Amino acid sequence: MSDSILPGRRTFLKSVGVSSLAVAAAPAWVQAAQAVRVDDSEQPLKPGEQRINLKVNGQTHTVNVPANAVLLDVLRDRLQLTGTKKGCDHGQCGACTLHVNGVAVNSCLSLAVSHDGDEITTIEGLEKDGTLHPVQEAFWEHDAYQCGYCTSGQIMSAVAIINDPAIGTDDASVREAMSGNICRCGAYKNILSAVQSAREKMKGAS
Amino acid sequence: MNDIIGAAPKRVDGRLKVTGKAQYAADHGLDRMAFAYGVYSTIANGRVTRIDVDEARRMPGVLDIFHHGHFADLYRPPSMQMNPAQIERLVKVDETRLPFEDDRVYYAGQFVAIVVADSFEQARAAAYKVKVDYKEEPAVATLGQAKKAQSPQSSGSDYSRGNAATAFDSATKKIDATYTTPVETHNPMEMHATTAYWEGDRLFVYEATQSVVVHRNTLARIFGLSPDKVELRAPFIGSGFGGKLWAWPHSAATCAAARAVKRPVQFVLPRPQMFTTVGHRPETEQRMRLATDSKGKLVSVRHESINGTSFTDPYSETCGSVTKSLYSCPNLAVTHSTLQVHHGTPTSMRAPGAAPGLFALESAMDEMAEAIGMDPLAFRKLNASTRDEGKDLPWSSNHLQEAFDKGAAKFGWDKRTPAPGSMREGHEIIGYGVAACNWDALRCSSDARVSLRADGTAFVTCGAQDIGTGTYTIVAQTVSKISGLPLEKITVQLGDSSFPPGPVSGGSWATASILPAVAEATRDAIEQLKGFAVENGPFKGADAKALQFAEGRLVNGNDTLDFGHFLREQRLGSAEGEAHTGVADGDVSIRSFGVHFVEVRWDPGISRLRVARVVSAIDAGQVINEKAALNQVEGAIVMAIGMAMFEATHYDERNGRPTNNDYAEYMVPVHADQPPEMDIMLLDYPDYALNEFGARGIGEIGTTGLAAAIANAVHHATGKRIRDLPITLDKLMEDAPRVTA
Repeated sequence: MSDSILPGRRTFLKSVGVSSLAVAAAPAWVQAAQAVRVDDSEQPLKPGEQRINLKVNGQTHTVNVPANAVLLDVLRDRLQLTGTKKGCDHGQCGACTLHVNGVAVNSCLSLAVSHDGDEITTIEGLEKDGTLHPVQEAFWEHDAYQCGYCTSGQIMSAVAIINDPAIGTDDASVREAMSGNICRCGAYKNILSAVQSAREKMKGAS
Repeated sequence: MNDIIGAAPKRVDGRLKVTGKAQYAADHGLDRMAFAYGVYSTIANGRVTRIDVDEARRMPGVLDIFHHGHFADLYRPPSMQMNPAQIERLVKVDETRLPFEDDRVYYAGQFVAIVVADSFEQARAAAYKVKVDYKEEPAVATLGQAKKAQSPQSSGSDYSRGNAATAFDSATKKIDATYTTPVETHNPMEMHATTAYWEGDRLFVYEATQSVVVHRNTLARIFGLSPDKVELRAPFIGSGFGGKLWAWPHSAATCAAARAVKRPVQFVLPRPQMFTTVGHRPETEQRMRLATDSKGKLVSVRHESINGTSFTDPYSETCGSVTKSLYSCPNLAVTHSTLQVHHGTPTSMRAPGAAPGLFALESAMDEMAEAIGMDPLAFRKLNASTRDEGKDLPWSSNHLQEAFDKGAAKFGWDKRTPAPGSMREGHEIIGYGVAACNWDALRCSSDARVSLRADGTAFVTCGAQDIGTGTYTIVAQTVSKISGLPLEKITVQLGDSSFPPGPVSGGSWATASILPAVAEATRDAIEQLKGFAVENGPFKGADAKALQFAEGRLVNGNDTLDFGHFLREQRLGSAEGEAHTGVADGDVSIRSFGVHFVEVRWDPGISRLRVARVVSAIDAGQVINEKAALNQVEGAIVMAIGMAMFEATHYDERNGRPTNNDYAEYMVPVHADQPPEMDIMLLDYPDYALNEFGARGIGEIGTTGLAAAIANAVHHATGKRIRDLPITLDKLMEDAPRVTA
């Protein structure tokens, strides 16, 4: 692993900015982590490793991964894309939901080696040029979270559900479709409001 | 003055949460960081006789494997009494035994080894190759098994007034019923995690903790360090519900491992270990005896509670704490005792004591009302206390009667027909249930620092943390209230033990504790600013006392001065304010009150039970942020629906191993379980006995009482009185009439 892609050991001091909550500016080193591009093509493969290309949020990475590495861990540990969360590692909670080629999947249940060449969108990829996705905006507006840990997965599922014509638009259908994403804080009422309000805004925009 | 207190601004940290940039304990990737993975006991009682790490040690990337034969010499943290007036000095764990102290095993899932390797995958693969032999001894798997083998040990918190036994015996109207609640597991979405590294003798830790200060103090004791040498960070926590209040064994184990391998180490506990080694709400058995006179006034209340605890620590679930004062009764007795089971040590889980306690009390109140043929709401209204008879003090502020009335009106309680099964719609039977909710309001010591900066902004630090309740936002609102600055000019930093010590985020204490400190520090900074202004600049020579501060400007009569501009002119970086605030005093009893009304729908044809509607009226003092406060109560109700209908950690009766320790088998409410209608009224009466804002905290109250309201509604629908949580369908199907075509 190239050390240069990771925040240095002084991160502890630098990362003060992470908890700095001025609405105006995102903390500096988080942005740096986003911009990281991993290129392992010059690194020799270790026994059991395979080299894969992942196109994540528009950025192509070449990563040497062991066969037993799951997509979630590669995104978090290698690409520093920690917005996607680990809540159970068993596909039971939905916190790790992201989009592979436009389809919502539990990234903890998916081996990284099976995603060579895939286009992956994580929560970090929804915001475009500093403008939040309507679903992100609606989650903020409707207080559709408490601790925020399941939020990335909820938002990625919500985007997929709104875009899926097979899923009904009524409240009961949305509740059913979102039931793979547990929110232990219980912000379900506000999440439903956020999803339905974002749906209206997205309709208006298209 | 502005009206920011009680308003509903969206959260100041919201953008970070919806973009995935909020960083939790395991989101901090550090240079050369290694990963830990645990090996957990597969027996619940016995000894480790042999650990064979040879094969695991040879696996790729493995740095070291720690176990009781190979681990740092650490110190046990002292067992301290909780003193809210000095929360900054608190050291506390619930499981006092350190990881790898010896070869003893007290519960399944106890650490027997941890593997540290270059990558997560390598650590996990190697952990699977560690071979452990045990000498297994019989395990006490449940409270029921413990009851057969042991005598209950008193927890030393018994209480009585009058003579409850005599009054009960001589009464003619009475009930005697026993209620049981299972082990419940917090299961926060963020699994417990530690990222630790050392620089010389200084320890740095990112931890999923509800108190950076107490956790810092605790790790310092464990490693024999001055607290100045330990720094804890928790800018974001994926909630905790009490499970992250105090340090658990993985935290010290990770720090020790990081010191040994001389690299940063990250350890995320797997979901199955959320059920074993990080606490839980213990199993309880509560016998309730209630008696009334002929008019329906309570004449005797007896609440005897037993809970399971571990073989290492005596944790008491104080189920009778609420019973002492919610209702008026001259003869009352409460006892708490424990029995030992081979589980990990229990801990506080959202509304500890009150959640299971009010299930028993408010179910018993319903049974008593039924026994005397009284409407259950009227029975509660008749018996609600007018002062705290447990403490013999007046209430600071109690609007329970108003909550009953407003809730009943909104819910339509008057449409309830008393006979079970008497309300139907189509193939569904409707049940209406009611229960009071109750939680104590407490405030602990807190410090805070506020800088009014030369760039015209305010900067706030406090060693509290935001576990998802909205603490960042209400701190910003408080500074805005005092200074007049808009929220976007206020930066709040929390979750760092090097900041002025703040409250724990638990027990509904945080809001009531942190707001006075932040307000005081803001005023202190303004005073310093005024002092600067009368020494130099356009207001030189003015009387500092005559100066005002409003909307970010110093005001002297008709003249105003932008404070940022003034500081820059004086070449000053900031005006600084600090504060230390303590606990509430005064001879009053301060609690929050409320009521839940629940409609359930039971479809006997397909054995389907749903919570269709919840209406709650909550008297929790002044609301600071309406969005966040409603969210807290709504979320508490969702969690309590889990308690009422789904949640139970099961243990194999033969060997004490948990059998459903994952998110698929331990059922929690999901989106589809959300009641279609949920209507929360916040009565919003400021309680100035607690603090200058009149806020009491709102995290726990919604959790209490709801399980009883559901059980009471279920009884109204089905005629079945379920005294054993959760109310699963099998309990309703028992003896169910055969469905005929």
